[in-house]
Amino acid sequence: MIRLKNVSKMYPPNVVGVNGVSLHIPAGEFVSIVGQSGTGKSTLAKLMFAEERPSRGKIEIGGWDITNIANKDVPELRRQIGVVFQDFKLLPKKTVYENIAFALEVAGVAPGRIRDVVPTVLQIVNLDEKAHRYPKQLSGGEQQRVAIGRALVHSPKVLIADEPTGNLDTLNAREIINLLKKINEFGTTVVLVTHNREVVNRLKKRVVVLEDGKISSDVEEGRYKL
Amino acid sequence: MFISSYRVTKFAAQNFWRNFWLSLITISMLVLTLLTVNILVFTNVITDRAIGFVEDRIEVSVYFHDYATDTSVTSAVEYLRSLSQVRDVETITADEAYDQFVTRHAGDEQILSSIEELDSNPFGPTLVVKAYAAEDFELIIDALDNPQFSDQIREKDFSNYETLIERINDATDRIRAFGVVLSAIFLLIALLIVFNTVRISIFIHREEIGIMRLVGASNWFIKAPFLLEMMMLSFVAMGVTVGVMYPVVALIEPQFNIYFGSESVGLVQYFAQNGLTIFGLEFLALVVITMISTSLAMRKYLKV
Repeated sequence: MIRLKNVSKMYPPNVVGVNGVSLHIPAGEFVSIVGQSGTGKSTLAKLMFAEERPSRGKIEIGGWDITNIANKDVPELRRQIGVVFQDFKLLPKKTVYENIAFALEVAGVAPGRIRDVVPTVLQIVNLDEKAHRYPKQLSGGEQQRVAIGRALVHSPKVLIADEPTGNLDTLNAREIINLLKKINEFGTTVVLVTHNREVVNRLKKRVVVLEDGKISSDVEEGRYKL
Repeated sequence: MFISSYRVTKFAAQNFWRNFWLSLITISMLVLTLLTVNILVFTNVITDRAIGFVEDRIEVSVYFHDYATDTSVTSAVEYLRSLSQVRDVETITADEAYDQFVTRHAGDEQILSSIEELDSNPFGPTLVVKAYAAEDFELIIDALDNPQFSDQIREKDFSNYETLIERINDATDRIRAFGVVLSAIFLLIALLIVFNTVRISIFIHREEIGIMRLVGASNWFIKAPFLLEMMMLSFVAMGVTVGVMYPVVALIEPQFNIYFGSESVGLVQYFAQNGLTIFGLEFLALVVITMISTSLAMRKYLKV
């Protein structure tokens, strides 16, 4: 599903983001990428959804070489990869329903299809009763669930979650991780970028550890150890 | 495609209303630019009318000797009418010339008694020649030096309006040059304001744009609302300009009519007949210019 071959990302003048990373994530896998701040976790995630281009190496998503993807092709890639961030990135003047529908609207999806998909997604993220609330009327966990719902509307093959529990308390963090596991069980490949020890240890899934931009450990059923 | 176009239009209209004051400032500058350009058009029309008005009144009076025969006067008329530069030739017979003289000096006893003392009519026939253009008069006067009638002609009187026409042209050229400079300045300011409006709009919507990119909106979908919003602003500015121009022209036309005498300058009529073309072309030019400015702003500030 996701294949990185000797990928490096350098920032001017001489800052290393990631350095010679090779990684293969098969379809349907749940992978946690962990590491201390500044080790290149988010850079690696950005390379996967083409927010950044690698300085060296090769990146393939579902057999599609996105190493030097053209700007015009990025929207197509983004419709196949759902992305979730620590700060939710919701539109404050839109309701839960509108925030999720927005992802479909900007992709040119017909109104009838939006009316079908959004309620289903709201049920998956368990927000169907709060569909008409605004983000500020929701808890952090609920806002993150809206963001996950929005990431799911295109039925992506891959979901990249960059520190999705960073702004949440333990209880809400568990809820989000459970939701990600549920999504993974439906067949979506999940890449979780985190430095939350408890989250990683509870998951009992593959853990990739980054140190100074390099992979220092890659364990099938790993624990958080730095 | 239809759905996306509808949504792009909706986003553009929302931008327009949500940044109302910014839109208002942009429209004001576009209106000022358009008004300056239209004042130039207006000046051109007035100048053409003024020159036409003066040219209508230019004429050469050809005075024949009292011994001039009817035949030679008639052949002079025919000759003049055969010239392509001549618009009209009016003949005043010796008797009509005498009557006109008496009427003109009706209050002057001394002149009237002097003329009565003469045995015969001292006036000969007169031709009043009108040309199509002021510069043709010299040629017409030269043509009358034809030996066939030159010895019959006593005097050729050309009221020289060329200086007046030159003055009108000079003044108009100066106004036009000033107008072009003023238009260029307003245009530059308008372009900068459009550029800045787009920049601010991008800044205001940076969060929304970021999310659009994240969820796979096409570059066209992200850019189009900004272009469309500027097109809407141009359209409103054009509407305001037309709304200002027509009443103002209608209001000041009577003043020009007084200046030009009884004739109507026909400004309202001119704008009614040519308005669609003039304002249509101005709108197209405005749209092209604002699109260029918007594209430059997007290239600099909108990373998609």
